[in-house]
Amino acid sequence: MAKHMIKLTVNGTDRAIETESNKTLLWALRHKLGLTGTKSACERGDCGLCTVLLDGVPVKSCLILAAEADGHSIVTIEGIAKDGVLSPVQREFIEHGALQCGFCTPAVVLAGEALLRRKPSPTREDVVEAVEGILCRCTGYRQIVDAVLDASKMKP
Amino acid sequence: MLPKFDYFAPQTLTEVLELLEEHGREAKLLAGGTDLIVGLRARERLPESVIDIKGVKELQQLSYDEKRGLNVGAAVTMNKLLHHDEVSKNYPILKEAVSTIGDHEIRNRATLAGNICNASPAADSAPALLVLDATVSIASRKGKRTVAIREFFAGVKKTILDCNEIVTSIDIPPPAEGSRGSYLKARRAVGEDLCVVGVGGLLTPNGKTGKTVRLAYSSVAPTPVRAFKAEKVFENNRPIDELLDEAMPIVMKTVSPISDVRGGKEYRANLVEVLTRRLVHRLWEAA
Repeated sequence: MAKHMIKLTVNGTDRAIETESNKTLLWALRHKLGLTGTKSACERGDCGLCTVLLDGVPVKSCLILAAEADGHSIVTIEGIAKDGVLSPVQREFIEHGALQCGFCTPAVVLAGEALLRRKPSPTREDVVEAVEGILCRCTGYRQIVDAVLDASKMKP
Repeated sequence: MLPKFDYFAPQTLTEVLELLEEHGREAKLLAGGTDLIVGLRARERLPESVIDIKGVKELQQLSYDEKRGLNVGAAVTMNKLLHHDEVSKNYPILKEAVSTIGDHEIRNRATLAGNICNASPAADSAPALLVLDATVSIASRKGKRTVAIREFFAGVKKTILDCNEIVTSIDIPPPAEGSRGSYLKARRAVGEDLCVVGVGGLLTPNGKTGKTVRLAYSSVAPTPVRAFKAEKVFENNRPIDELLDEAMPIVMKTVSPISDVRGGKEYRANLVEVLTRRLVHRLWEAA
């Protein structure tokens, strides 16, 4: 099986990774780049915990081959805070207590960030749609949706 | 961990067709990957090669023309389709159906062509495409052909595609004047769940007989099906409930629901009845 050298931008930095055909983007981020903020759980596209932004769009990295990401730009949860300053979505998650165990938090924060970049003033329904593919088993969706909505009202 | 395979990322359709000619029998095409990679991980599929078609520009095309209708390239994502103004305006049934597939993130990768090529009996886009009389454009190194969507599905997870062929686009004719369609999907949970029963309906005002009705179903037969025989009943200009009473037994002969993890066959049969009546009433009363 052929090895692939792929080049991609991760959180604004150009990276080159050696990978194999059957490795996923999720695997490359966690095992090649050590970015363990992206969580691995169901690995079949159901739970959404491996969400990252690919060219600004939220996707499930367990369903993407590392080779498919060649030439693309990836943002993980590690790339959201800038110089140690949390983003409005992150700050509102704290404000609302929008997490209990925290395992889904990187994914829902990224989904919220992507929504606000696409639609700066979303409706409640927009937020629900944006996070519907990410499972929070602590059942904290109300706080998650409130946090994203309140972040949309803050100045970045 | 995924099984081993070789990965190809051709940049032109010619390269795709050559790869299919060479590796077709042992290859799988990759568009969004939201079905393929799940199947690989479950080892339901063990291809020697995976051919990623997203780099091919002409498969990324999405266009609408008043005369030719909608052209959806094989690599166009569902969200790109859903956010196209002409889709909302001219094919609300397609928008309604596709927006029930997976979730927002899945739809950022998944494609309409992938949904039909996966050929699940539960494919949500299929009833909409069936009542809209969509056609599927297919290419191989030997040439091109076009197949009506109603002839595309060959069985559970089977299509009429040969192993050296690729679906290049799905075409939908322009909507008939005054037509309206809708898709009803019964499911256990909103978001991510597969369909228990899906019903697509399209109603078009018709000078001679009043109205024509088209009906199609998912998750109640080995393939998505159109209820052609039952549709004929609606060609008579009679009260809606009489027409439905006559049409429903014919619909029930068209479908053959089975019991699985998502629902029993009796439950599914009952849903076909309830959802069809609800859908036709809704379309009829809006007319």
